[in-house]
Amino acid sequence: MRLGKIKGIIEALIFASSEPVSLREIAEILKIHEATAGELVEELKEEYEKNRRGIQIVQVAGGYHFVTNPDYAEFVRKMKKVPRQAPLSQAALETLAVIAYKQPVTRAEIEALRGVKVESSLNTLLERGLIEEKGRKEGPGRPILYVTSSYFLRHFGLNDLNELPKVEDPADNLSTEVIINAE
Amino acid sequence: MKKWLSFKRQQPEYRVKLDVFEGPLDLLLYLIEQAEIDIYDIPIAYITEEYLAYLRNVELDDFHQAGNFLIMASTLMQIKARMLLPAPPRLEEETGEEEDDPRWELVEKLLEYRKIKKAAALLGEYEEKWSRFYSRSGGAFPDRECETPADPVGDLTLWDLVQAFKSLLESLTPRFEVEGMPQEEPSVQEMMEKILSRLGQKSPLPFSALFAELTSRKMMVTSFLAVLELIIRQKIKVRQDVLFGEIEIFRAEEGHRETG
Repeated sequence: MRLGKIKGIIEALIFASSEPVSLREIAEILKIHEATAGELVEELKEEYEKNRRGIQIVQVAGGYHFVTNPDYAEFVRKMKKVPRQAPLSQAALETLAVIAYKQPVTRAEIEALRGVKVESSLNTLLERGLIEEKGRKEGPGRPILYVTSSYFLRHFGLNDLNELPKVEDPADNLSTEVIINAE
Repeated sequence: MKKWLSFKRQQPEYRVKLDVFEGPLDLLLYLIEQAEIDIYDIPIAYITEEYLAYLRNVELDDFHQAGNFLIMASTLMQIKARMLLPAPPRLEEETGEEEDDPRWELVEKLLEYRKIKKAAALLGEYEEKWSRFYSRSGGAFPDRECETPADPVGDLTLWDLVQAFKSLLESLTPRFEVEGMPQEEPSVQEMMEKILSRLGQKSPLPFSALFAELTSRKMMVTSFLAVLELIIRQKIKVRQDVLFGEIEIFRAEEGHRETG
């Protein structure tokens, strides 16, 4: 198969999927090495960027995904059918930050760190699919453990949890050690 | 800043909402930052006073929130009291002072909270930035989809469906077989599959047609539950073109997205 054709197929795969497509999946379908697939995707990505096209390929949540060019966001927003989404509240962001950096974490642990009840922000985050329950902590009451979802990565444009913003503080002990959700 | 706080003290009528702060730690951090106090060496008497002054002028309308703020007030007063007491005589000099400082636990909490706040602010920035990227189908963002949910029932309410089901039950009563006859009893799951496969052959189907061949009340209930479940899962849609007319059931189109 010619390289141009393979690149075209990769483009088709990414376009056809409503979720980010991993290099592994691309490699499997095309029976090529992941590294080769990676190089071709990068070339494709550059072509879109170079020509300031309306759509771009981004690497997010462990895969590649077609999105609109952020430079044109104002215009996209003018379309009636594009839903606008309210940004997360400060409370929800704080709860989410605790979960993102400390996961897996229980409600009581989040409440201890934030010094407030977090039930309603937990519900908001669960409803919006940004966090999910993942088992229970051993110990009294076996409380539910919360982790971020793979959609969390997409919502914030992160490829994986290692890309979480680093919080610098002189006495830094907000552990940035995180586990990555197994798919 | 002190001006601002004393201003409030002079005018007790002036009410501030607690909502401005995400919690007692947030308020405390604010007071510390405003007074440009070293977080590692908080003048606890001063900050307690400021904290209480703030609480006095605040509307405690949310009891859960108020409770959180009051717990912190008592913690502060406890620390203040412990600071006034002479330290117990130490046997060994080498232990660090910090461990003994009654403020230390609070300082640690404040430091940790400050980082959470910073992280939350950064996440907020990421969110803002990333909201400029729209995905091809919109299908990539489940919660954006929720904003304009595919409305599977249109203007129909659950009550309309229940009504339709009820009148069906009544009209079909004579057909029921004698009680006690052994019945094949499919599960809701099986019924869902059956309904979907029927809709695969012919869509839309009148609501009553789904129940036409059923001969037991139990099976009818199972079918009805299956219909509700399918609506929830957005596999089918229902529609009633005419008021009090026949309710029609049809397959939701987006079959390809349900494989995930």
